[in-house]
Amino acid sequence: MKSIQAKLGTGLLLSLIIAFSALWLLLSINLKFLAEEYIASRLKHDAETLLSSINFDDKDSLIIDVTRIDAIYQQPFSGHYYAISTDTGSISSRSLWDKKLNQVRVNTGQQSTTLQDGPEQQSLLLISIGYKKHGHQLTLTVAEDLNPISENIEQFQYWFAAIAFGMLLILVVLQILILRSSLTPLIRIRDELKSLQQGQLNKLSTDPPDELRPLINEVNHLLTIMEQRLRRSRDALSDLAHAIKKPLTVVRQIIDKSDIIEPDKTTLMKQTDDIYQLTDRILKRARLAGHGHSGALFSFADDLPSLIKTLEMMYPSKTLQLTTHIPNSINCPIDREDMLELLGNLLDNAYKWAAQKITLRVDINSVLRLCIEDDGPGADPGKVNELSGRGVRLDEKIQGHGFGLAIAADIVTDYNGSIHFEQSTDLGGFKVEIALPLQQR
Amino acid sequence: MRLLLAEDDKDLVATLKKDLQSAGYAVDVAYDGIDAQYMGNEMIYDVAVLDLGLPRRNGIDVLKNWRATGNHLPVVVLTARNAWHERVDGFKAGADDYLGKPFHVEELLARITALLHRSSKQPGGQLHAVGLILDEEQQTVTTEDGQAHKLTGIEFRLLRYFLLHPGSVLSKSRLTEHIYDFDSDKDSNVIEVYVRRLRQLLGNDRIETRRGQGYVLTDNNS
Repeated sequence: MKSIQAKLGTGLLLSLIIAFSALWLLLSINLKFLAEEYIASRLKHDAETLLSSINFDDKDSLIIDVTRIDAIYQQPFSGHYYAISTDTGSISSRSLWDKKLNQVRVNTGQQSTTLQDGPEQQSLLLISIGYKKHGHQLTLTVAEDLNPISENIEQFQYWFAAIAFGMLLILVVLQILILRSSLTPLIRIRDELKSLQQGQLNKLSTDPPDELRPLINEVNHLLTIMEQRLRRSRDALSDLAHAIKKPLTVVRQIIDKSDIIEPDKTTLMKQTDDIYQLTDRILKRARLAGHGHSGALFSFADDLPSLIKTLEMMYPSKTLQLTTHIPNSINCPIDREDMLELLGNLLDNAYKWAAQKITLRVDINSVLRLCIEDDGPGADPGKVNELSGRGVRLDEKIQGHGFGLAIAADIVTDYNGSIHFEQSTDLGGFKVEIALPLQQR
Repeated sequence: MRLLLAEDDKDLVATLKKDLQSAGYAVDVAYDGIDAQYMGNEMIYDVAVLDLGLPRRNGIDVLKNWRATGNHLPVVVLTARNAWHERVDGFKAGADDYLGKPFHVEELLARITALLHRSSKQPGGQLHAVGLILDEEQQTVTTEDGQAHKLTGIEFRLLRYFLLHPGSVLSKSRLTEHIYDFDSDKDSNVIEVYVRRLRQLLGNDRIETRRGQGYVLTDNNS
């Protein structure tokens, strides 16, 4: 069982059922015992009244003064009976009619309590007491039907069970409500973690209950550290790039103006070019955020138009028709800088070579698919596929397509994606297809 | 054309300034962001080359501040920080063009020229106005009779400014501002001398004098 709520709910239900059942059982037994005790004590009183109302005549026969006895003993099958037996004979109450009580003889001063079936399905409680009156040994038995009181007890039990069941339901519902309200922060945190993972959040809410505060604070602390590290390393790399490129620029200008003779001049220029491009590529690769990072995410709605505008300004002499096929309300959980670098390099390549048309297709489900086609001259398919086939060596260049595609391939590799180049069938130029698996945890 | 070069690397400035001057620009240099912002707001520049990694105030902020105060000075951003997100942010801040370091001077010059043509609503390619064609690389002008004339540095600067503002009245002080940098001796009478030289090349009626206002470059056929 994994849910806290189910666990607590079942536990509560079981313990409540046991508690209520025990209570019910205890009460029932006690009530029955009390009722019998009460009846027995009443019967003893009746027996004493009876004893005082009997007498013996001259012939030692038993005489009862009926007027002194409760009228209930005169009604047939009233549930109240007596029987008196002596050495010489026995008398039963009129209420017994033609039935007899199963009387046991009891010695003087002793008493016995028994249960037996009476007439008309009655359950009788019998008390027999041994007496000695006027020298006669006699056993006096008084009985009362237990059915009416049993019925009362049963009714009580029924009501008790019903009320207990009702209370059980109310308690369980209450417990569910209480649990739910106290688990709300956990549920909220679970939801927040989900959006965190999808990059819609970059911090967990800072208002958790006390029990969860250390956890939330720790997570937030780690997130901040991660973000700071990424930011710091990116800044450092950016500074490094800057630091390397500035002198390189000066070196180039000087070589350009110097009296160094050919082919040394060209070689020097090429070498500085290579230093620059390799540095650029390695630094770009190192700056990648990759998956599982909580910084700003790429937005097709905001960032793509800026990127396209940027490209249009970079190629002001070209009037290109860029067609985009992008699903509405697309949510792209990929770091903004990484995605801008990827799309920037690919679209830059397309802008560089396209004659009139460029198509950008985006599709997203569990995988982000990008497809960029242009109507330019394209590239040699054999050479081009080497790039996507076995990864790219640093010094490799696709003829005419520069380092941009190599950097794009680096980004794709970093995201465990795939990149594929071919001749565009629709536009006739270069076609790049990219699939980036989105993080699924 | 007067150009503001905002760049903190003195070695780079040394070579770049020479290249820009020989391409016909009057170049002033700002070595930090605060100076750059102040100078850019002087409204005497036709174009700025802005490095983003300036000390004291970074280039993006300088650019944002210019744009926020309605300064539309055409800006070519020159930077070693040429990741795509930096380019996008640069354009968002109001850059007109972007060039990553290291660069070829020819490319920078081509981009500046293209930007100047664009910002004065000229079509791409060679500067072409009122029947004159200016070759900005060779610094020659081709008149309607198909003859190419070699121009001296100041002649070239002056004619280019006229050609980028055809039909506008250009005062002597405005011409001086856009042709000379801070360090040059500014004598507005010199402008008269160069205008006279241009008239000799293009014909007297090409550049009209508006008394008390300045000069206007006009179309021969109008």
